[in-house]
Amino acid sequence: MIDFFIGLFLATLIIALFTTRLYRLFLWYSINSLMLGLLALAMGMKLEDNGMLITGVITIVIKSIIIPIVLKNLTQKFNLVRQIKPNIKVHYSIMLIPTILVFTYYLADPITHMIGTNANYVAISISSLFLSLLLMMEHKNVAPKIIGFLSMENALFLLGISATEGMPMLVELGIFFDLLMAIVVINLLFQQERTTL
Amino acid sequence: MIFFLLLPAIIMFFVSFIKSSRANHLLSFTSFAILIPIIELFLVDKPYPLWENYLVADELNTYVLLVSSVVGIGVTLSLMTLKKHVSISPKSYRKFYRFFATFWIGLIFSILSNNMGIYWIGLELATLSTVYMIKTNFTQSASREAWNYMIVGAIAISLVLFGIILIYASAKPILGEEAMDFNFLLAHAKEIQSSFLFEIGFAITSIGMFIKMGFFPMNLWLSNVERASYYPVAALFSGILESAVIIGFFRFSQIAKEVNYNHLFTFTFIYTLFTLFIVSFLIYRAKDFIRLFSLSGIEHMALISLFWVSGGTFAALLHFGAHAFLKPALFLSTGVLESKGKYKIAGALRGYRGKRGKLFVFLVSLFLLGIISLPPSPMFFSELYGFSAMIEMAKTSNHILAMIMAILFLLILLSIIFYKFVSLYQSMKYEGEERDKEVYSTEVFALILFALSLIVLILPMSINFLKGIA
Repeated sequence: MIDFFIGLFLATLIIALFTTRLYRLFLWYSINSLMLGLLALAMGMKLEDNGMLITGVITIVIKSIIIPIVLKNLTQKFNLVRQIKPNIKVHYSIMLIPTILVFTYYLADPITHMIGTNANYVAISISSLFLSLLLMMEHKNVAPKIIGFLSMENALFLLGISATEGMPMLVELGIFFDLLMAIVVINLLFQQERTTL
Repeated sequence: MIFFLLLPAIIMFFVSFIKSSRANHLLSFTSFAILIPIIELFLVDKPYPLWENYLVADELNTYVLLVSSVVGIGVTLSLMTLKKHVSISPKSYRKFYRFFATFWIGLIFSILSNNMGIYWIGLELATLSTVYMIKTNFTQSASREAWNYMIVGAIAISLVLFGIILIYASAKPILGEEAMDFNFLLAHAKEIQSSFLFEIGFAITSIGMFIKMGFFPMNLWLSNVERASYYPVAALFSGILESAVIIGFFRFSQIAKEVNYNHLFTFTFIYTLFTLFIVSFLIYRAKDFIRLFSLSGIEHMALISLFWVSGGTFAALLHFGAHAFLKPALFLSTGVLESKGKYKIAGALRGYRGKRGKLFVFLVSLFLLGIISLPPSPMFFSELYGFSAMIEMAKTSNHILAMIMAILFLLILLSIIFYKFVSLYQSMKYEGEERDKEVYSTEVFALILFALSLIVLILPMSINFLKGIA
């Protein structure tokens, strides 16, 4: 089951890289976060770790439901461009993405030998980090860059639960708090932008 | 005690909701209140737990907290006259205070943190608050730079978190959840079995922190951001944010030193040398005050990191303190020199009349000459101690000749910077036209505060304290 969720996590991120519509991108981000939350729940149940179960629920509520809704509202409120064409052409992306996946697999190889449990997940989380960076790079518009930043946070969260079997609860909650703060700041930035215009 | 440390920032946060234009006058007094719990921290036995094992005051972070708090007070004082130098709406002005308060709270947590996770959370909170502070300037370039900072800052901070996770993963099998504690991890650093994993984590964390300080290869974003935003943002960056970043580097490198000192030194040495090489030429080509001071900040942070890993702890801490006082003082002076965006380097120091004006010119000259390490600037002594620490370190290895060559190379780079600053000072003082200019009391008071702090830094008592940390 965990492998299934992690596979879907990676797949949704790859699809997000090819998306040309903003709302669709929010949807893929939402599914990506949902898979991450379910993965945390599955691992929490397997390890009997209540902290990870709580984190999984918070991930689903905040990242999979609240953040996409807030971003959609912001898009409507500030009339953001919804046609988001990636700068990198599709046929280049088709070659680039597997290259990143293979490259990160070999890059993470020495590390995965040192982590007893979930070694392959570490490689996937590192490749997700690179793919999120690619998402930030391939768009000129601000909104997909924000999704790139949030996906990067998801990749780090995956690394946290796979490499360390969960960070301390206090740290996880702090990271969620910072994420909400980021959304507040993004909202304020858009608001300022409108005032300037 | 933690409540009293946060109190000035909390008061600032709530006062920022009051619409009266005189409300901010209160803040210049309340900001001084942070010094009371800090003095108390200096008197108690250390390590002193402020919040269980999460926030622990020791000699190092108490010193860094004091330095950054003095900067916070200085910036609060100079903020009172911000609207006299730049165009800012009352609403943005209040929001600036609100986010300054959030920024300050985040960094107090980061500085006092004994937990890698809380350190990161504080740093992230401060980064996000700064984004809005940059945006208070209603220009297109500020808007662009705010988004740029959001992205660069997010990448840097994500790298820091990435590294922290790997460090935690390397130590968790033997230390459990306490692997997040800096002190606990330092005490058990030699027991870490996956040293390669730890080192990879350390390298990634350091690169994240180096990006945040504007090191190679991301040299220009910091100066662009500081140029686009209002001058207090630049002062906060150089005086407080960089203090929090560098204390993180100190903490992580202390642990890395126990794991493999040679790797730590080689990594930092090459990185800082590249940074200094590029930055010295960028400084030579800089055409305005803010970019010049910003790039010079990168140069000094690189030197501090280099001295620290070379074993020159005292030199690094003295250099850090001097830089944290000098650079915000220069940035705040820039606000006066570039009033309403009208500035020219030639003759910038001419036209200030009366006792207040003359004192301002004297202080700015003092800071300009101090930043290029002219004696009796604390930087002069810190560089002497720092370079001698590098030689001492090389004596224990077989690379003494290489180290001497490296130091000579560094001195050549520093002389380029020295030349640029001296020619700038001469142009400001002796060239250009003389026009009447104004400086306000609170600004001069803020500069006096920084000058006094610099004097205190080179008193024997302070030197002994810093040597005690070493």
